[in-house]
Amino acid sequence: MKRINYIFLILSVLLMIFSACNKSVQYRALIVTGQNITNWQASTPVLKKILEQTGLFRCDVAVSPEKGKDMSGFKPDFEKYNLIVLNYSGDAWSEEVKNNFSSYVSNGGGVLVYHSASQSFPEWKEYNEICGLGGWGGRSEKEGPYVYYRGNQMVFDSTEGVAGWYGLPGEFEVRIRNMEHPVTKGLPVRWMHGSDLLYARLRGPAKNMEVIATAYCDTTGGGTGRHEPVLMTVNYGKGRVFHTTLGFPADGNSPAIQCVGFITTLQRGAEWAASGKVTQPVPLDFPSISGISLRPELKALTLREDIENLAKYEIGKSTKYYTDLQNRIRKASGDKEKLLEIEKLLTRILKDKSATVESKKLVLRELGWMGSDYSVPAIKKLKGIPELEDEVNFALERLGVK
Amino acid sequence: MLKKSSRRIFLKKSASALAGTFVIPNLVPASSLGLGGKIPASDRIVMGVIGTGSQGTGDMKGFIRLKDQVRFVALCDVDAKRLEAAKSIVDKANKSTDCRTYKDFREFMDRETLDAVIIALPDHWHGIIYTEAAKKKWDVYGEKPICRTINDGKVIVKAVKENGIIWQTGSWQRSQANFHRGAELVINGRIGKVKYIEVGLPDGVRGIGTPPVKDVPEELDWDMWLGPALKVPYRGVCHWNWRWILDYSGGQLTDWAGHHVDIANWGTGLEYTGPVEIEGTGVYPVEGIYNAPVEYDITCKYANGIIMRVANASRLPKGMGTAWYGDLGWIHVDRGNKISASDPKILDEKIGDNEIHLYKSTDHSQNFIDCVRSRKEAIAPIEPAYRAISVALLGEISMTTGQKIQWDPEKEEIIGNPVASRLLSRPYRKPWTLPTL
Repeated sequence: MKRINYIFLILSVLLMIFSACNKSVQYRALIVTGQNITNWQASTPVLKKILEQTGLFRCDVAVSPEKGKDMSGFKPDFEKYNLIVLNYSGDAWSEEVKNNFSSYVSNGGGVLVYHSASQSFPEWKEYNEICGLGGWGGRSEKEGPYVYYRGNQMVFDSTEGVAGWYGLPGEFEVRIRNMEHPVTKGLPVRWMHGSDLLYARLRGPAKNMEVIATAYCDTTGGGTGRHEPVLMTVNYGKGRVFHTTLGFPADGNSPAIQCVGFITTLQRGAEWAASGKVTQPVPLDFPSISGISLRPELKALTLREDIENLAKYEIGKSTKYYTDLQNRIRKASGDKEKLLEIEKLLTRILKDKSATVESKKLVLRELGWMGSDYSVPAIKKLKGIPELEDEVNFALERLGVK
Repeated sequence: MLKKSSRRIFLKKSASALAGTFVIPNLVPASSLGLGGKIPASDRIVMGVIGTGSQGTGDMKGFIRLKDQVRFVALCDVDAKRLEAAKSIVDKANKSTDCRTYKDFREFMDRETLDAVIIALPDHWHGIIYTEAAKKKWDVYGEKPICRTINDGKVIVKAVKENGIIWQTGSWQRSQANFHRGAELVINGRIGKVKYIEVGLPDGVRGIGTPPVKDVPEELDWDMWLGPALKVPYRGVCHWNWRWILDYSGGQLTDWAGHHVDIANWGTGLEYTGPVEIEGTGVYPVEGIYNAPVEYDITCKYANGIIMRVANASRLPKGMGTAWYGDLGWIHVDRGNKISASDPKILDEKIGDNEIHLYKSTDHSQNFIDCVRSRKEAIAPIEPAYRAISVALLGEISMTTGQKIQWDPEKEEIIGNPVASRLLSRPYRKPWTLPTL
């Protein structure tokens, strides 16, 4: 009897471990590409990396024949996936594939429309409805109104004219228009986006579409002077579409795709399209109105990287490792173990002879309020170093140490 | 209460004497106790200014505008250029060049005999200089926010009260008709019982990155400018833009709480108390020398159940200003003489004789001068200013620690959180200390 219990216990544990492992990757995504007016060879691995980094997605890639080649053999199996990522603008798909795609979406499939994909298939009515808005390729008032924001009002503008415009690349401010949408909840309401091509004058059916973020298109250089949609959601049948106009890839290392705002909204938008919910926290290095925030390696900083780089801090150098660390402390919010772990690492900088004086000054400011008995001896040891005298006094006084 | 010099008592007497004799209606401001006409030089309020930057100079002009009621005799600033610019304005008004200038406020305080002083300094200097001015028994027109930390504020409030000085906070919105009207309608129950208040303050600003160390301009005493703040090399950020750096300010949140939170409290009788629970989140710049939060969203609970949300304007449906929500409707006020209500009829309501009539002033500078003479409390006294900024400072502590803060507004202490309590004060760099009373 006892033995059966043990076996049962072991089986349960194995099952738990198995389901826990399995739980991390919840959705299958298919990136559809192979033709694009932007560099799809460069952007596809980036999109894959960004989505797989969440631990929620496993991505396959469907590469179409080259432009002008026979498309009849190109038949992605959409139904196997929770999310279709459109990184494609090129030759028409076969009627069969088009039908498969629109019925995949209307039956509840998830779609992510990425940047130049909204330029594709101007003649395909269902595609325009799925994207909500599009541009170029001869799109005009036939496809629907221009959609943009004026002040706090969304405008549907039926003026005749061609769709699609962009100026020179540059940084611009993104403004969240629905702070309660699962994709945008918890994000700063205004943030600076890494240098990108801002799509403007988009038009389309805009059916069941919500604009969740806009960016102001400056009139210098012939821009519209309107707040143009940059993040949109569309409900198509039972399906959910997340459409981002952001992320001009260049050779795969553009500030537009290294922007934490782009990465985060892509990840969250993908999860929402696949599932209707967002479980990912807002990252610590999300940009704000203050300025852009880039991830050259596409991934977030680790605590270890924060500490290593903080120890090298000099005035005039990047402060992002320090602010990342401060955000970690905020996020730990009363978690004594986590705070002690950070305190130990900070104390190590104080003891580290190769750490800069400026880094120690920052550490002393931080320990001055969040430190415990653990760091006090190391702080006291710095007494007598003239460059650190003020900061040592500051920390000890605040910690209530005589 | 009156511990003022004999000169001040003389002023008080002459004010009432004048009120009985000279009345020249067209020249008499309604609020000026009947004072007007030609004021003898000996009756003018003798004033000085500490901090002659854009705000201090603006405040000073507000008093010069009152013609012969005041005379500026001394100015103080750590920036020689700004000092010189302010002196030229005063000299023109005085038709004389005898206004004295100082770079060090200690010398200014030792040498000068004033009735009143305008103090318009970065927040980190408020603790020391407001307290010292009160100890000199000078009446003070002091800029908001009145303190950088709660502890500084406590000391300042005590100094002002103990020394019986007249204090006017530069929260001039109290002297504007729309803010007064909104607050008076709310406090008289015209929107029913207030349940919720939304206070919208400006969004943060674009950063400037991480500028390198620069030579300190010849005219600037940088070490004195830093004063009690930790010593840092000069990097070209000083006047005005200090307010984006946490050593000297809390950003837009603390810069503006002294205005719209103050008005919110005024309309709900919360002027002499504080919240019991504060929880806030902030968005901090990732990069650069500006490190104050550029977005903030703070929710405070008061003992009477009122919830106050203080956030950057872009997060709120009504944007900037103060919006009171009661069980019968809402009223919103903002700069630009804006006032609106859920039902416009509310705004036509009369306030009856037996109802609450809030202190009325139509000119913030004139009100201060009137009170310096009459020894009556000014429209923006010290404690409400302290209570208004406390909301922001406690919100800042909540944002820094990531924790909900429990606050005892009577004892003015954080309850059960020794780590957060450390942030109620900030050590001063030697040789500076917060004066003790």
